[in-house]
Amino acid sequence: MISLIKNELTKIFAKKASWIYIIILFLAVIAVGVIQQKVFDLGPSDPNWREDVQAEIIEYQQILKENPDDEWTMDLIQQNQSYLDENIDPNAYSSWHFMNGTVIGMTMLITLFSVIVGSAVVSSEFADGTIKQLLIRPHRRWEILLSKYIATLIYSFSLLVALIIFGYIVGLVLFGAGDFNAKFFETTLEGYKLAVVGDQFLLKVLYYLPSLLIIVSIAFMLSTIFKSQALAVGIGIFVLFLSSTLGGIIVLIAEKFAWAKLLIFPHLDLTVYALEDNILQDVTLPMSLLILAVYYIIFMALTFTFFQKRDISI
Amino acid sequence: MTKKALEVRSLTKKVKNKVIVDDVSFEVEKGEIFGLLGPNGAGKTTIIRMIVSLIGRTKGEVFVNGYNIDEQFKESMSEMGAIVENPEFYKYMSGYKNLKHYANMATREVTEERIKEVVKLVGLENAVHQKVKTYSLGMRQRLGVAQALLHNPSLLILDEPTNGLDPQGIREFRDYLRSLTKQGISVIVSSHLLSEMELMCDRFAIIEKGKLIHVSSINQLANQEQFVPTVQFEVDDVNKAFELLKEHQLTNDWKVEEGQQFSIKVDKETTADVNLLLVNNGIKVYSIHPITTTLEDRFLALTSKGEQGGKK
Repeated sequence: MISLIKNELTKIFAKKASWIYIIILFLAVIAVGVIQQKVFDLGPSDPNWREDVQAEIIEYQQILKENPDDEWTMDLIQQNQSYLDENIDPNAYSSWHFMNGTVIGMTMLITLFSVIVGSAVVSSEFADGTIKQLLIRPHRRWEILLSKYIATLIYSFSLLVALIIFGYIVGLVLFGAGDFNAKFFETTLEGYKLAVVGDQFLLKVLYYLPSLLIIVSIAFMLSTIFKSQALAVGIGIFVLFLSSTLGGIIVLIAEKFAWAKLLIFPHLDLTVYALEDNILQDVTLPMSLLILAVYYIIFMALTFTFFQKRDISI
Repeated sequence: MTKKALEVRSLTKKVKNKVIVDDVSFEVEKGEIFGLLGPNGAGKTTIIRMIVSLIGRTKGEVFVNGYNIDEQFKESMSEMGAIVENPEFYKYMSGYKNLKHYANMATREVTEERIKEVVKLVGLENAVHQKVKTYSLGMRQRLGVAQALLHNPSLLILDEPTNGLDPQGIREFRDYLRSLTKQGISVIVSSHLLSEMELMCDRFAIIEKGKLIHVSSINQLANQEQFVPTVQFEVDDVNKAFELLKEHQLTNDWKVEEGQQFSIKVDKETTADVNLLLVNNGIKVYSIHPITTTLEDRFLALTSKGEQGGKK
């Protein structure tokens, strides 16, 4: 089995595209980092930040005097007050803030590249006709498919590791070493949540893994069933980009119909659980994981059964 | 009991109630080159794909070197090396890396030396480190043979192996197969070209419309009774020759052809007797010319649809 996985990895990395994706990832991290530093002027804490925040509070209080019912401004004052209470510079930006914000945002690219590679890994063997030579070896079909699946996951995981390493280095160079345990306020749907930046980053990475696994598995399944990379990549990307939109629509449907909570889309992005405890009113993380697990088992069963029985006649 | 290199029993393939291969059984002896001959679309490739389990069998059993392919899958697959139609490779990798890839998949260890040995055998030493996308069809074919032989299989399965090879290449390929069988390797070759089978195989099966309609050795086919060769004589006096032959009852099957020629159906020995008789009786024999009916003709006689597939 190990030699089969090694073979599949050799093939993935023998393709130029697999390396280009890593380079794109690297360039994207640098580009976004530089833009944030130069254009948005993000950087380390200003020693006089307390005075600035206090000045802002006074400014907002002026506005509030004219409009006593302005809730928006009241919230702003309250927020600024909590910056002072917790002693958090709202404009402080360090390597860990970069990791938690930008690098996590870039995981979208990893999913995208993994979908592309994962859907090629089976379908390209069909397109090139090499599947014939592959399946006349003394290995069961499921072993060969499993080796391909594992190799795809290893590639995805390498991309993630590469992203984290690039991100850390770029963050360090552009924004300086930050405190892993620095507190900050994370913006959520329900307002601001006090959190530790490093913990928050790790939590998001952890919550990202199941959704990466599921989306790559969907692409892998489609490419095995349809033998077509174009179709698999197309649907994979469709799922990837539409899951957030569909997720929003499903929130609305779920208010009326409970079954909508069982659809896969709202559960694809688990990183929301790093911000809030419930989605769709009452769905919690364990429940989302359970739903994903059921989908996962169905997808895998379909993929392997299909491949096992298929007649190879190209 | 000696094990057969390959034993195929009642192999049947149905797709949506359409019978593609119908109850085909045959055996391949050790060190034998066995041909599957038939027009395109007769089911040769389907038979081969069922043997190497690329496609499922509706019915039937396959034994490779005594191993049942259903019960001892890995053992039986290890015994086989195959090229199924055109050999395809990972074009973005070198020939060597492609071979290494397949070597890694073997159950018996394939050493670096073995890979080099096989590369030398197929004459690809100079090109093996280039990417496969730079290879000509002939080179790919040879790389195909190399990947099939890599793990020392006892049975080599070649589906239309000479497709895309030039006559020189086909000749070399044939000689090469011969040398393999001397090492005890058995070979199955499929082709729609009878002339090729004639030169390559020890025995062959004729497949038509999914059925095995005839198995015979090349010699058998050549010696079949209805195919006593026709010999053409050119003499100065055809009528006198006819009288003589009738008198000595050497032939009944007499045919006068244009000019001073006649042809009779006689075997080798009788040809000499006829010549002696004519010469002794003062008839001038200008030429004796055996008209060999080709195997092709006999193949056509056996298969009804031969014209479409049997011709080059």
